[in-house]
Amino acid sequence: MISLDRLFRRRRIADDLAAEIQAHLDEKAEYLVAQGMSRDEAARMARRAFGNVTRLREQGHDTWQWPTVESVLMDARFALRQLRRAPLLASIIVLTLGVGVAATATVFSWTRAILMDPLPGAGDSGRVLALESLTASGTWTPTSWPDFRDLQRSLRTVDGLAAAYPITVAVGADTRTERQSTELVSANFFSVLRVEPALGRFFPPGRDNAAGGEADVVLGYRLWQRRFAGDSAIIGRVVRINRFPFTVIGVAPPTFHGSMPGEDIGLWVPAMMIGQILPTAHGPLDDRGWRTFRVLARLARGVSPAVARDEVHRVAAAIARANGGRSEGMSATLLPIWQSHWGLQDALRAPLLVLLGACGLVLLIVCANTANLLLARATGRRREFGLRLALGAPRRRLARQLLTEAAMLTVAGSALGLACSVWLVRMFRALLPAVGPSLRDPAVDIVVLLFTVLIACLVTLVAGIAPALHGSRERLGDALGDASRGTTGGLHAMRLRSVFVVAEVALAVVALAGAGLFYDSYRHTRGVSPGFDPDHVAIGSVSLALAGYDSARADVFLSRVTEHVGREPGVSAASFTDYVPLSLGQGSWEDLQVEGYSPTRTENMKIYRAAIGPGYFDAMRIPLVSGRDFQASDDSAHAGVMIVNETFARHFLRGRSPLGIKVKGWGRWFTIVGVVRDTKIYRLTESSAPYFYVPVRQVYRPEYGYTFVARSRLSTDQAVASIEAAVRAADPGVATYGAMPLSDYVGEPLREQAAAAQLLGVMAILGLLLAAIGLYGVIAYAVGQRTREIGVRVALGAQPLDVLRVVASNIGVLVAAGLVTGLACVGALWQVVSTLLYDVHGGDLPVLAATSGLMVLVAVAAIAMPARRALRVDPILALRTD
Amino acid sequence: MPDDSARDLFPGALEMMVLRLLRHEPMHGYALVQRIQQTSQHLLQVEEGSLYPALQRLLKEGLVKAQWGVSATNRKVRIYQLTPAGTRHLEREMSRYTRMAHGINLVLGLGET
Repeated sequence: MISLDRLFRRRRIADDLAAEIQAHLDEKAEYLVAQGMSRDEAARMARRAFGNVTRLREQGHDTWQWPTVESVLMDARFALRQLRRAPLLASIIVLTLGVGVAATATVFSWTRAILMDPLPGAGDSGRVLALESLTASGTWTPTSWPDFRDLQRSLRTVDGLAAAYPITVAVGADTRTERQSTELVSANFFSVLRVEPALGRFFPPGRDNAAGGEADVVLGYRLWQRRFAGDSAIIGRVVRINRFPFTVIGVAPPTFHGSMPGEDIGLWVPAMMIGQILPTAHGPLDDRGWRTFRVLARLARGVSPAVARDEVHRVAAAIARANGGRSEGMSATLLPIWQSHWGLQDALRAPLLVLLGACGLVLLIVCANTANLLLARATGRRREFGLRLALGAPRRRLARQLLTEAAMLTVAGSALGLACSVWLVRMFRALLPAVGPSLRDPAVDIVVLLFTVLIACLVTLVAGIAPALHGSRERLGDALGDASRGTTGGLHAMRLRSVFVVAEVALAVVALAGAGLFYDSYRHTRGVSPGFDPDHVAIGSVSLALAGYDSARADVFLSRVTEHVGREPGVSAASFTDYVPLSLGQGSWEDLQVEGYSPTRTENMKIYRAAIGPGYFDAMRIPLVSGRDFQASDDSAHAGVMIVNETFARHFLRGRSPLGIKVKGWGRWFTIVGVVRDTKIYRLTESSAPYFYVPVRQVYRPEYGYTFVARSRLSTDQAVASIEAAVRAADPGVATYGAMPLSDYVGEPLREQAAAAQLLGVMAILGLLLAAIGLYGVIAYAVGQRTREIGVRVALGAQPLDVLRVVASNIGVLVAAGLVTGLACVGALWQVVSTLLYDVHGGDLPVLAATSGLMVLVAVAAIAMPARRALRVDPILALRTD
Repeated sequence: MPDDSARDLFPGALEMMVLRLLRHEPMHGYALVQRIQQTSQHLLQVEEGSLYPALQRLLKEGLVKAQWGVSATNRKVRIYQLTPAGTRHLEREMSRYTRMAHGINLVLGLGET
């Protein structure tokens, strides 16, 4: 309080002191006049006896420590004047800072939106963790309702456990039906997430006790606004969901999007109503094998995540033991939301973090560069500082002056960067195709602003402290005397600047090598064959649950559409599947028992699978190695059949002929009738795993979406349109979604990688340019300082090459040191980086060599200009400058 | 050199003298300078201006307080007055100084024999 008060009293204190001093001088002068001195002489005499008024006033001023507002303003004004005298330097610094800040703020905004705030609208979401079940082999899997209920009853370290099952439903009556992402949730879903209704109420406690009950629904804010025009009389109205009438009891607040990061959930329905939403599913909530729920846990007060994780692990393992049949060897863990496997952040985590790292790197280079340029400038201003010291300016004040200059540049650069990031944040979306329209652009808000301010402070400190310390260290005599015109002036500054140049070169090498390695990884990934041919294939999906189809109707519908599409001229093969390979989603698995194979105790027999129609392998060009494809007759009336991939055959059959072997799943036996080549299932970078196919007709699951695939000579647009037309013709009530060329679809996961590789490239080039500026600055300055020395040498008969050697030798050492440091950093970071790369190995020599070569080239270019100037030094002029 | 006269005094000496004089009666800056020179029989050449930073320090530490008043020559001046804290500080400093001076005198062979 005192100091604040003082801050406001500051000007009065200064005024008081000035008045007081004036009174003193007047009184003394009057005394002297009374002694018989002339008035002028008396005034002079009084001043002499008093001493240096300005210095004393400053001392009096300094007593009150706190830099006064007005002196800071004065520093700022002075700094502005100084910077106006060096517009090129100022604009380089402001621009580079702007670029660094803009990039960092943009990536930070997105990282925050996707990773750090994955549950917008939820209260105290930092205490909410994802509970993920683990299979015996340690891979994650969704959780079944009975497991969830058992966990809910047993966990003590958790203050509320909620479950949500994301599903797509049809909203509305027949004519105005629309697809809507929905979550089937436990009763406590909203209270665990600490969300308050914008209107009405949420589900009552105890809603999980019995299946069925009140058909209640909570609307998402946007759905309410869009479909119901924000009508507040909506409460109590009936809305049809998958044709079943539900009563609206509440509306969620606008900030809340549900529990799936990146998705905009429009409806919440009690899990107990699953029978009404999926009429064809049989008792899914009683089935421990029906693992579909995402579980969220709110930590109890004072419990650390580690303690809760221990308990979850223990309790889940106990539950699994108690249900040995279906859950053998399973357990569960707790993960921060940003690490959990549901939602968008799972796919974007790695690229975003890499980008954020790259931004940090560029920002560091910008810092080093700014420090370098400011230091050069401070050295050039030695006389000014010397003069000010001689006139009685305290050193502290000089340091503050230099820091103020750095701060002003930083503020200008950050403001520029922030302004650009408002626009860049929107541009950035184009690089993240997986970000659906549901996730709005992150706002450049107060947090981003604070983040930028923090960056600005750091930059000011990092970039300003060295010049400030150096500038205020100036020795009076040195600065005013000959030293400033001497040969190697400012040794200390030179050494400091060399450090910065080495740092810049090293950081640029890290950025370049990083971008190169990432690009290499992208190239390798792109070069991987997926095991099928995605070109000339159109896809289009339908959700039969929306139409309330049972197995028989689905059967008719799927074959009718496939036949229709297959009859189109130019279409060579058409079929359907419930899982399109290389989808980001996890697909489904089934617990298998293979005849003649006894799994080890902990072996994971949950094998991923696709349910497909006849002709699928033709349409996808997946080669059939032996046996036969599925036929129209492989339906529920006939014996179960199965086609397995080569890895399946190798792993489970070990040399036995696969055909005719029986495999048990879904509680019945299937006979292997064919073997196909391996394909990539989830990502291009995975290693091969056992996989199998069954006919849709024998394992129809209504809740899955089905996707038609058509290989044709038609343009992909025509092929896509023919799928849509066929679906409309078969049932006008079923809508097609996600119709597109298959090559686009499977390319999507790669697009992020491509975008990240491109962005990293841009960052690296930026780093390289900055390093070049730094090198250029140091050399140009050194040449300028040594003009006289060079002049003398030339006058004494030195050859141009000798001069060049003098100039270049120091810098060669700096570049070499930077290169070595940078490569060493790459080596040190290898452990972290390599987890993000595919098929790129430790000694990726081409990349590292190219990096080094490029760096050297840029260094030579940066040296060339000042070196040429050195060669042209005219000895007469050089010697005459003093 | 302007600094030399101030350097005649050890740090804190000026402040101590100011406090001592103010204990006697409140006065303004010019009067303080006059009084120091008179009382010291002009042995101490205090640079007049150096008084003011010292007064600022004392003000800041709350050892003295100041009020605008009118001088004998009818000028608007700031009159300084000792605070209770100033009195205590003065006593502490004076006893420390006396001990120090005594010690120095003993070493120099000037003290009581």
